[in-house]
Amino acid sequence: MRTLASERPPGEDGGDDGPPAVSLDGVTRRYGETTAVSDLSLSVREGEFFTLVGPSGCGKTTTLRLIAGFEEPTAGTVRFGGESVAGVPPEDRDVGVVFQNYALFPHMAVGENVAYGLRFTDPPGGGSAEERVADLLDLVDLGGMADRDPDTLSGGQQQRVAMARALAPGPDVLLLDEPMSALDAKLRERLRVQVREIQQELGITTVYVTHDQEEALAVSDRVAVLNDGRAEQVAPPRTVYRRPATEFVATFVGDNNVFTGDVTAVRTDDGRRLADVAVGDATFTVALDADADAASVTVRDRLTVCVRPERLAVDAGRNELTADVTSAEFLGETTRVHLDWVGREILLRAEDPPEGTVTVGFDPGDAHVVDGH
Amino acid sequence: MADAIEGGTEGDDGAPADATTSGDREHRDSRSLRGRLERRALVALAAATVGLLLVVFYYPVATVFVDSVLVEGRLTARVFFDILSDPFYFGEPARLLAGDSLASVVEGLLSPDRRLGIVGFTAYQAALSTVASVALGLPAAYLLARFEFPGRRTLRSLTILPFVLPSIMVAVGFVATFGQRGTLNAVLGAFGLGPVDLLFTLEAVVVAHAFYNAPLVARVTTAAWESVDASAVETARSLGASPLRAFRDVVAPQLVPSVLMGAALTFVFTFSTFPIVLALGGFQLATVEVFVYRLIRDLEYAEAAALALIELGISLGLLYAYLRYEARHTVRSRGIRPLPRRPLVPSSPSLRALLLRVGLAGYAVVALAVFVAPIASMILASVSGPEGATLAHYRFLVERQTTGASFQVRPWDAVRNSLLFGVASLAVALPMGVVVAVLTTRDYRGRKLVDAAAMAPLAVSGIVVGLGLLRGLVFGVEVGGTRLAVGGAVAIVAAHAVAGYPFVVRTVAPGLDGVDRTLVESARALGAPRVRALVDVELPLVWPAVVAGAAFAFAISIGEFSATVVLASGTSQFTMPVAIERFIGRRLGPATAMGVVLLVVTTVSFLLIDRLGGEDVGF
Repeated sequence: MRTLASERPPGEDGGDDGPPAVSLDGVTRRYGETTAVSDLSLSVREGEFFTLVGPSGCGKTTTLRLIAGFEEPTAGTVRFGGESVAGVPPEDRDVGVVFQNYALFPHMAVGENVAYGLRFTDPPGGGSAEERVADLLDLVDLGGMADRDPDTLSGGQQQRVAMARALAPGPDVLLLDEPMSALDAKLRERLRVQVREIQQELGITTVYVTHDQEEALAVSDRVAVLNDGRAEQVAPPRTVYRRPATEFVATFVGDNNVFTGDVTAVRTDDGRRLADVAVGDATFTVALDADADAASVTVRDRLTVCVRPERLAVDAGRNELTADVTSAEFLGETTRVHLDWVGREILLRAEDPPEGTVTVGFDPGDAHVVDGH
Repeated sequence: MADAIEGGTEGDDGAPADATTSGDREHRDSRSLRGRLERRALVALAAATVGLLLVVFYYPVATVFVDSVLVEGRLTARVFFDILSDPFYFGEPARLLAGDSLASVVEGLLSPDRRLGIVGFTAYQAALSTVASVALGLPAAYLLARFEFPGRRTLRSLTILPFVLPSIMVAVGFVATFGQRGTLNAVLGAFGLGPVDLLFTLEAVVVAHAFYNAPLVARVTTAAWESVDASAVETARSLGASPLRAFRDVVAPQLVPSVLMGAALTFVFTFSTFPIVLALGGFQLATVEVFVYRLIRDLEYAEAAALALIELGISLGLLYAYLRYEARHTVRSRGIRPLPRRPLVPSSPSLRALLLRVGLAGYAVVALAVFVAPIASMILASVSGPEGATLAHYRFLVERQTTGASFQVRPWDAVRNSLLFGVASLAVALPMGVVVAVLTTRDYRGRKLVDAAAMAPLAVSGIVVGLGLLRGLVFGVEVGGTRLAVGGAVAIVAAHAVAGYPFVVRTVAPGLDGVDRTLVESARALGAPRVRALVDVELPLVWPAVVAGAAFAFAISIGEFSATVVLASGTSQFTMPVAIERFIGRRLGPATAMGVVLLVVTTVSFLLIDRLGGEDVGF
């Protein structure tokens, strides 16, 4: 299968500037019978905002805990700057961690919380601990809050205190474990922008764990989509969305329509390789170029293709299918329409939801091949 | 990128990469140098705790048990066999081992003059005590869990008190209540009723055991009752169950495990009872533990050890059976809405409500008689003589202090020794208990074993620990040609610490268990070695539990009798409880006066520890 852990990054960022800040090499973590992380290899570049996203139980938090040193891998190696950190306790890994529940020390004021890490190391860049604490509270827009009790703060403020505390000792790597999931949607959107800004300002290598694929796409330089302890795809957000590597990624990240069928013909038309795929009684023509996997497709292969709901258009497109509208969800700027096409559910995005029976279609270039063999 | 925050805005990667890296490494090295001691601190403390336990508990206890199988240098099971087949110990069933037929044993058991043996009698009185404790404890749990009244919280906290009261003092209180000239007979006499003599009867022993254990039953049952989710009961009611039916189907099943736990612990405690029976029953009501003590006094070490081992086996077997049961039946409910409490004074008087209150009032009278009367009687008896109120008993204590012969027990020395031993054993038991609590609340292979090994002192009788320390450490051990021995005082402190630290563990461990794991992990990610996370984060958060554990350990030391009486006999290291026992053998008056002194010292110490702990909470 295509575990695209080593997918080349786009652009000039060839990855030749020294060892990755953090890398996992064939890391496995088992708890008794269950395997939380399975033969996972990743590398996070210096200064990168790297997100682990996946459904609950996919192993993303375990991966973060392996990096932090709260867990040791059952097999494989975690490396920081190319050096193995096996057996190095968390306090010696120079990581900053922000937990989902913020884990502020309830018996210490905000300032003491932020200053705690400075008990074990000198403030980076000279200066006194007090100055460092004040600087960091300013950084997270909480200047003057040093004497407050953590439990008098709102959830969003606590989250920012946790950020400031994690950053105070000047860690090499910032690890964020679903830091927003306890906040309401609006605040979450605002905070994720702030987190991204701080990360950019400091240029700190950041590993971010979330189950929210939208959040992952919004903030990350690169995203690793995890499922069952394995990386399904590691790529920049746009690639993950537009060219999902697997059916899992295709359906986990955003809505998607997935069709599987046998290839009945492969041809070249106007410089593009096209394949005809028999899905049920219909035959869809899909473009094969641009995908390494798709390049080798031949007749009688079984092909899985996906088409985003927003790529389906009513009464348009070369591949047509006629389906019955079963329900519609009004989402604000658009409506998600559920169609029934001979027993399959088809999703459609529309501004004006159709009713009754409709014909929708897509062009060959709107389809993306996720699986073919 | 340790300096990322400063360098961030103005072109971050200006410095050569290798310079940054080497700077980082130096930074890390200096940090680990500074933290090296701290890093090892927890391991060192754990090793010290294990070592101490080995020296002052496992080794001495082992020497006692070796005595039972090693007679004149030869390994033998004869001592055990003799005990197991002796009807004096095991009653009629012992004859089975002696070779008699089953039929004759059954016949013997059915005959009116059957013999229970000491073990049988011990189990019998333990069973009676358990029934009495449950009967007395359940109404209290009902009252505490289901009613609201002024002082409810105080009363709930007070249920811990009997547990830490020195047993010998309680025994004095019971003598003052139930003795021939006790308050009970005074009250009965006022009603023209004849005097009763309950002293040295099974009844007195059982009531005294209930004094100790009914609050325990009440405590665990109240806790279970308070964790019953009201919405579960409401669901049952909405599905058509009557209040009684809802209680039977929803509430009762959640209470049963706790009641059984209270009963099981009561049985185990009363099975190995010692000071109460010694003072209230004497040797004619001897239980196994009392007999072990007697055998030790008669220097019959092998038989004493074998008997103690058999007793331990029975106790552990019961505990194990209970724990097996508990493991299968524990239901943990969190985030529940507890059942609402009713006012004790009913808002709308109905016959049902009235009857209920009358019942509770009746219970209150019984509870007063069992729990308050002994202490009140002791205080009363200490200031009364044949001619009314007198301070003669206290004067006796003062005289004994000033003019007493060297072999006599001097009161002030006893007070001083008790406090000294209390402080010293607290200093040992508190860190030990905290370390064991840390070790038993972390997840790792073999944790259960560590837990069991660390809690074993709770199951082994004080007599055995005392004897082991006496024979193993005080008399000395030959190590490489030199005789190593510790003083009696050190041995007493060790025994007290061993008896006390499990209570520190039991109060601190649940607290540590409740501390959010991510708090510790945050501290560690911020650079704190494990022991610093413990000191900076966990201990401040569970400080009330640490203080409670300290108070427990101190109270256990102050009240400890079994091991102390073994170790202090013939020395000047006697404590207040030992002094009381010496006095009680002759005259009640001075014993009650000494009891009051003990009560005052214990109470003041408790308040002091509480105050000291309270002031430190803010750090």
